[in-house]
Amino acid sequence: MAKAKRLGLKERYSLMTRGLDWETTYQPMDEVFPYDKYEGIKIIDWDKWEDPFRLTMESYWKYQSEKERKLYAILDAFQQNNGQLNISDARYMNAVKLWLQGITPLEYAAHRGFAHAGRAFRGAGARVACQMQSIDELRHAQTQLHAFSHYNKFFNGMHGFAHLRDRAWYLSIPKSFFEDAMSAGPFEFVTSISFAFEYVLTNLLFMPFVSGAAYNGDMATTTFGFSAQSDESRHMTLGLEVVKFMLEQHEDNVPIVQAWLDKWFWRGYRLLGLVGTMMDYMLPKKVMSWKEAWEIYWEENGIALFHDLSRYGIRLPKYHEVATKEKTRVTHELWATLYQYGNALGLHTWVPEDEELDWMSEKYGDLFDTMYRPRLLFLREQEQAGNRYFNNRLPMVCQVCQIPVFYTEPDDPQKQCVRIVEWADTKHHCCSDGCADIFNREPEKFVQSLIPPQQIYRGDAGGARDIFEYAEWLHLKKDIDTGEYNGSPDHQNWEAWQSQQPTPQANSDEAA
Amino acid sequence: MSYQVTIEPLGDTIEVEEGQTILDAALRAGIWLPYACNHGLCGTCKVEVLEGEVEHNHASSFALMDIERDENKTLACCATLESDLVIEAEIDEEPDAAGYAVEDSVGVVARIEALTPTIKGIWLDVEGDGVAFQAGQYINLSIDGVEHPRAFSIASAPSQANSIELNIRLVDGGEATGFLHSQLAIGDRLSFTAPLGRFFVRKSAPEPVMFLAGGSGLSSPKSMILDLLEAGDSREITLLYGARNRAELYYYDLFSGLAADHANFTYRAALSDAAEDDSWDGPRGFVHELAAAYFGGNFAGHKAYLCGPPPMIDACITTLMQGRLFEEHIFMESFLTAADGAEPARRSALFKKF
Repeated sequence: MAKAKRLGLKERYSLMTRGLDWETTYQPMDEVFPYDKYEGIKIIDWDKWEDPFRLTMESYWKYQSEKERKLYAILDAFQQNNGQLNISDARYMNAVKLWLQGITPLEYAAHRGFAHAGRAFRGAGARVACQMQSIDELRHAQTQLHAFSHYNKFFNGMHGFAHLRDRAWYLSIPKSFFEDAMSAGPFEFVTSISFAFEYVLTNLLFMPFVSGAAYNGDMATTTFGFSAQSDESRHMTLGLEVVKFMLEQHEDNVPIVQAWLDKWFWRGYRLLGLVGTMMDYMLPKKVMSWKEAWEIYWEENGIALFHDLSRYGIRLPKYHEVATKEKTRVTHELWATLYQYGNALGLHTWVPEDEELDWMSEKYGDLFDTMYRPRLLFLREQEQAGNRYFNNRLPMVCQVCQIPVFYTEPDDPQKQCVRIVEWADTKHHCCSDGCADIFNREPEKFVQSLIPPQQIYRGDAGGARDIFEYAEWLHLKKDIDTGEYNGSPDHQNWEAWQSQQPTPQANSDEAA
Repeated sequence: MSYQVTIEPLGDTIEVEEGQTILDAALRAGIWLPYACNHGLCGTCKVEVLEGEVEHNHASSFALMDIERDENKTLACCATLESDLVIEAEIDEEPDAAGYAVEDSVGVVARIEALTPTIKGIWLDVEGDGVAFQAGQYINLSIDGVEHPRAFSIASAPSQANSIELNIRLVDGGEATGFLHSQLAIGDRLSFTAPLGRFFVRKSAPEPVMFLAGGSGLSSPKSMILDLLEAGDSREITLLYGARNRAELYYYDLFSGLAADHANFTYRAALSDAAEDDSWDGPRGFVHELAAAYFGGNFAGHKAYLCGPPPMIDACITTLMQGRLFEEHIFMESFLTAADGAEPARRSALFKKF
């Protein structure tokens, strides 16, 4: 059989893209690309980089513009049909608020980070991959904002995400995560974001949010999720590629990559505590528990990945066993913290309803019934007696992950876990051995962390003297944007809208 | 009802059952296609349909857009077949694949020899042009009364097209191998389909080659080495073989003789279960340990061909990678029998072939 020789897709791509860069001659390459060596990563042959995108700019624009047209057609329909009335319950909106305030700015930060990393790599393949991802991330930030913007007309606390991002104590958790990555070198940045976060932990971030949106009737977010997921595969492939590339290029890279995986596994896990809490507490209709998600996406998939990585001499990330021990606790401990600091949050908190408590008992077992249910019931009792509890002081937060130091010892759920680290005669507090190790590895970096409570006490929050003045400085209105959900304007509006609905929407709870 | 899919640029043709996805069929046939989410959302497994009709099923309209549907793209993880198909996937071409057509043949048993207490050599005479195959490939042998055909690697060199040698290990309770070991007689006729498989020497790559084999995994390497030596290939060739004990060590004299005759060929064997055996003064241990010792733990700059049971392959891959030889330089044929368990261990998307 005589077959006409045609070029393969891979070949065609390489012919179209090969040789688009050049060795500089007016300036030495090391001057043109000053950042891709100082981390110690040794690259022998940049041509071994396997381009994970294999997309020309022309087709990239074509594809992305069709995605946009589809997405915005659905968002238009959603808005015209008053889609906000179809969500499961107004409490769900707090998941959206947390995402808008905490995660959407990360998409924008990723856009900046990948633009920077792309400029830093001397290999053209890595540069192009980072450039496209940078554009993707900008698009994700924009489309998320557009998807959420409709809700801003109907619910409180969504009016100033950009203002909040640089000022709110709880948003320094995601913000510091990304700024740590962006202020690292280009290889560490791509390892942290593309591999640790987007590959290893991505399902723990996207699954609860997008499936959670679908379960709770949020058409806008669900559609955004689908549109983004078709990009995420490229991002995940970039993460895999960069790690394999570093590990295969030189054996000296192995311990450096290992240290980054240790660090970014733990930082990613700590950040995901917020997402887990959203899953367990903020979704009126639950998708799965944090514990179940951890078991599937880390204990099964994540461990299988590290088993494969062990062939490169990479071991499981440090303290992964601590994260697994904490799986029955983190979300309950974090919700209790958000609940008590509710006066300085741009979202509402509450005690879950009885059926939700029963769901938690089923998912979390004895520990929930002995430790967390009684506390939640006590808080509910107090609230119903007109004595809703708020802790109107400022928390001590971890020097690394910036989460208040409230988690408990890995082997004792009744004992607060605090680690004190010292550098240049100054003591700093960490929430865990994982964060303490990260501090001790780069103390010069982490002593520079801007810690919100310290800044507030120094008068850097507009001179605020207490938590209420601080909330005003955040542009959050007391008991409207902040505080308890029950009786809040969001709650009252929701009840009013439901009673005016021509079709009995209230039944949707039972139908599902 | 099933259809056939030809996958370019490999040119391999595989069977796809009704309702089975292209991706599922390809992976089961040992052909790796890029994929990630496996349920139509991410678009990693996008392929181009060159000929034929597919049903896109539940491919997301964001992962497979209208313009792409118009351009005959589909998602391999969702697409099912409406006709025979030719697709093109983003995979590397194999310049060294000979691409012999798969044919049905009949062989007459000409010789049966006990190579070890558990391995029999069986020679099949094939009339006419014989069997055109690439050294390293296998045949699917049909046995009357046994439901599915069984795969056996060809142990003879491609130059012997009319006499096909198979080395068959007796599988505990194995229906097919039980028959072949106890009832097969000279003059019996056996039908088979050949040649199959993507295990062959990448001759265009200049690097020295090493073969790591265990148990009855010696068949393919034997054919490949004979083929290289017959062609006068001058690169360095190393065969490291692991058997349990002296009685299971076969073709020792053949390979020792070849090593004596060819300066570029080296042969070493290790026994893993010969503690009591004073007559063996060679290396002891598993083949991956033999390899680490022989190459001093550094394999960079080689091409490695692995053939044997899954645990052996697994240990060898780890050893090779720790010695700085990575996936693109490692080729393998892993034997799974029904007794080994059909479900492979859970794995990640880190590697394409492993």
